[in-house]
Amino acid sequence: MPDRGLHSPGMRDFGPEEMRRFRGIERRFLDAVEGAGYLEIRTPTIEPLHLFTAAGTLSPQALERVYSFLDWDGWSGERVVLRPDATVAAARWYADAVRAGGASTARVAYVAPVYRFAVDGDREVWQCGVELFGSATAEGDAELLTLASTFLRGLGVSDFTVDLAHAGLVRAAFAAAGLPAAQQVEAYDLMLEGDSGVTERLAQAHPDQAASLRLLAGVDGASAGYIQNLRAAMLATVPAAAGPLDDLARAAAALDGAGVSYRVLAATARNFEYYSGVTFRFRQGAGTEARTLLGGGRYDGLTQTLGGAAAPACGWGADLLRLAKVAS
Amino acid sequence: MSASTRPVRVAVPRGDLRTPVGERLAAAGFRAQGYLEGSRTYRFDVDGIEGVQLRVFSDQDIPIQVALGQYDLGIASGTWIDELLVRYRHDSVVPLRPLDIEGETLVIAGAPGASLAGLAGAGVVRVATQYPQIAHHYLTRQRVPDYRLYEVWAQAEAWPPRDAELAIASAAAVAKEGLGVLGTVHRGGVWLIANREALATRDLSAALRPLLSLARATAEGGLVDPTPLAVTRGTSQVVPARERFRIAVPDGHAQRHTVAALADAGIAFPGYEAASSVRYPESGDPEVEVKVMRPQDMPRAVALGHFDLAISGRDWLRAFLATFPAAPVTELCDLKRSKYQMGAVISDDLPVESIEEAIALWRRDDPEFPIRVASEYASLADEYARTRHLGRYRVIPISGASEGFVPEDAEILIEGTETGTTLRANRLRMIDVIMESTNCVIGHAVAPDGARGARRAEYVERLRAAAEAAV
Repeated sequence: MPDRGLHSPGMRDFGPEEMRRFRGIERRFLDAVEGAGYLEIRTPTIEPLHLFTAAGTLSPQALERVYSFLDWDGWSGERVVLRPDATVAAARWYADAVRAGGASTARVAYVAPVYRFAVDGDREVWQCGVELFGSATAEGDAELLTLASTFLRGLGVSDFTVDLAHAGLVRAAFAAAGLPAAQQVEAYDLMLEGDSGVTERLAQAHPDQAASLRLLAGVDGASAGYIQNLRAAMLATVPAAAGPLDDLARAAAALDGAGVSYRVLAATARNFEYYSGVTFRFRQGAGTEARTLLGGGRYDGLTQTLGGAAAPACGWGADLLRLAKVAS
Repeated sequence: MSASTRPVRVAVPRGDLRTPVGERLAAAGFRAQGYLEGSRTYRFDVDGIEGVQLRVFSDQDIPIQVALGQYDLGIASGTWIDELLVRYRHDSVVPLRPLDIEGETLVIAGAPGASLAGLAGAGVVRVATQYPQIAHHYLTRQRVPDYRLYEVWAQAEAWPPRDAELAIASAAAVAKEGLGVLGTVHRGGVWLIANREALATRDLSAALRPLLSLARATAEGGLVDPTPLAVTRGTSQVVPARERFRIAVPDGHAQRHTVAALADAGIAFPGYEAASSVRYPESGDPEVEVKVMRPQDMPRAVALGHFDLAISGRDWLRAFLATFPAAPVTELCDLKRSKYQMGAVISDDLPVESIEEAIALWRRDDPEFPIRVASEYASLADEYARTRHLGRYRVIPISGASEGFVPEDAEILIEGTETGTTLRANRLRMIDVIMESTNCVIGHAVAPDGARGARRAEYVERLRAAAEAAV
C-alpha cells in the first residue's frame, strides 16, 4: 500500500508555494467579479442535510457521496452535511437574506470548499463562483456567460469553447416521450455519458418523437442555425420546447456577441436537479484532453424548493485549483 | 499470529438465524460441534477441516467484523449487510452468494390509513428505525423533502403514531404492532460475504469450497428503489402542547427492578409486571399514559419531549449525552437498583497495572498500532479513547453480546459488571472504572408547567423517598 502520509484520504495540504498560487488566482477571480458588481459572501461549511435532499436540489446519486452526520445536538434526528454544493448554500443564504428584509436582486460571489466522496482523487474541492438572484432569464444568462468569458480571458485563457444546453428542453422531450419524472434524471445522466441507447430506445418507442430526440441527442449543434432546426423538429410534437429554445437562442446570441465559439448539446450538467433553464460549461482542449474550466446555469425553482421566496436565479462555478493550472 | 498464518475465520450468526444456518452448514459438510445445538461457546473448530475457525456473533455485528478484516468470511442478514454497504459502498465487503434462508423484510409503516405523500407534503416526517443508513437511502430516493431519523436500539415499530409518524422495521414487527404498511424498504435475504483483501491475498479455499456449495436463494432480496413522491416541502403544523402526563418504563433486564421500585413507592401499572408487559399498561388515571419501551431509547424520547418521566439506566443517559451533550435530558432521581460498574476491560493475561502500561505494551513493536475498543456503548468507548489519549484507535460497535471479544477481536472492551465474576471466568479484568450505574428517573431539563409539572414533582418525590427508604 503506498504511503499516503498522515492526512485523511482525498484531502490535501496547501504548502507555502501552493497557498501563494491559491491566493493569486483567488484575488484575480474576486477582482474580476467584483468589478462586475458581484460581492463576496461566505456560507458555513456545515449546512442542514434537508436543504439538499428535496427533489429539485441534488440527485440521489449525488447524495450518496455527501458527508452527512449527526451534529453534537442532533438528538432530534436532524442530520447536517459538509457543504456538498456551493450553489445550494448560496441559495439558502439568499432565502435567509430576503426573509430578513434584504434586496430581491443580489449578485454574489464565493470562494469555498465543497466536500464529496471520491474513491480516488480529491474529496475537498475549492470552488469559486458567482450567483445572480432575482434577474429574469435572458438578461441574466447573457450577463453570466459574458462575465465567464471575460474572466477566463483575463486569466490568459482564450482557447475555450462553450457547451450550451437547456435542462427544460431535455425534460420536455423526455416527458413528451412518456418517461416518468423519476427516470428523467437517470436518462439525462446516461445521455451526458454519451449513452445513445436511452434516446434510441425512446425514439423507437415513440416514432413521432424520433426526429426531435435524435436531433437533440445525436447531433451537436454549432450555431444558431441548429437551434432553428430543433425548433422545426420539436415544436409540433413538443410544444413545451418553445420557451427553452428561445432561451437557448438568446444565450447563443450572447456568445456570438462575445466572440465565443460554442456547441449546443442535449445536456451539460450532471447530478444537479436544480437546473431549470440554460446550462453551460466552458471547455478547453478536445477529445480525451478536454477539460471543463467552469460550469453553471439557471435554477429558477431552487430558492422556493429550499423554503424561501421564489426567485429567478443563475450562476456558475469553477474548480479554483484547475483554473490556477491553466492561468498565465 | 500474522494474517497469512492464522486460521481462516468465519463469522456466523446467533439468534434466530442460528438454526437455519447451522442446518445448512451441517448438510454441506461444514459442521462445528455445538454451533447448531446452541452451545454457549463462541468459537468452534470445523469437523474434518483443518485451519478453519467459526466464531458466533450477533447478526448485525458480522458485516462490520468482515469489513474490518477480523473475519475472512461471514453469513449475515442482507439488511445488516446493506446497512453497512449502502453508506460505505466502497468498503471491503464482497457479497458472494445469497443463501436459501429467509431473512426479515423491512417495511415503512405508520398509523393505519396514513399516506406517505400526505405526511411528506405536510412538513417534517419523523421516522424511527434501527437502520438509519437504509432509511436515509430509501427516504432520499422517495424524495421525502424533509425528514428526521430517530436511530433507535430496537422496537422502532413502537414509536408511531404518537412518537414518530413512521417506522422502518421488520414486516413481522409492524404487523404485530398493528401499523399500516406503506411500502417495502428491503427484501431481506441472507448472504455469504467475504473480506475483499482476504479474498485477494489469502487461501480461503478450505472454507470457501463448502460454503459456496450452500444452496443459493432464487431471489437476491436487497434494497428497494421506491417511486419518488411528487410533493414539495410543506410547512409543519404547530403541534398543540401535550396535556397528558406520559411515563416511559423499561422492558428487558431492567423491568423487574422497575416494577419493584414502583411498588416500593406505592405505584402499580396493571399490565406492567415483573415478567410480562403490554405496550401501554394502565395507569389508573386518564391524565397519565404509560408506555413500555427500551431503556436505551428513553433519553432521546425524553429530550424530544415525548415523555415527562422515564425510568432508564444512568449508563444509557451517559452514553446518550456523550453523543449529544446539548440534549435537554437530565437525571431527576437515583433509584439505587441494578447497580454495576462500567469501565475498560482488558485481558487478565496482560502483565500491566494501568491502562497506560497496557497502551505501551500494545505499541511496543508498532507505535502506530490501532487499539481496538469494542463496546455496546460506542459513544462511551469513543469518549474513553479520546480522554485517555489512546492515540490511533478504532471503535468497534457491538450489539450486546461481548463474550470473547478481548483479546482476539479487541484490546479493550467497555463493559459493565456487577460482581466481576463473569469477567474473571473469561480471564478478563476491569482496569479503569468509568462510572457507577444504577436505575434512575430521567426527565426533560426544563420541567413542564402546570399539572404536568406538578405530577412530575410528585412522582419523583415518591420514587426518591421509596428508594432512600429501601437502602
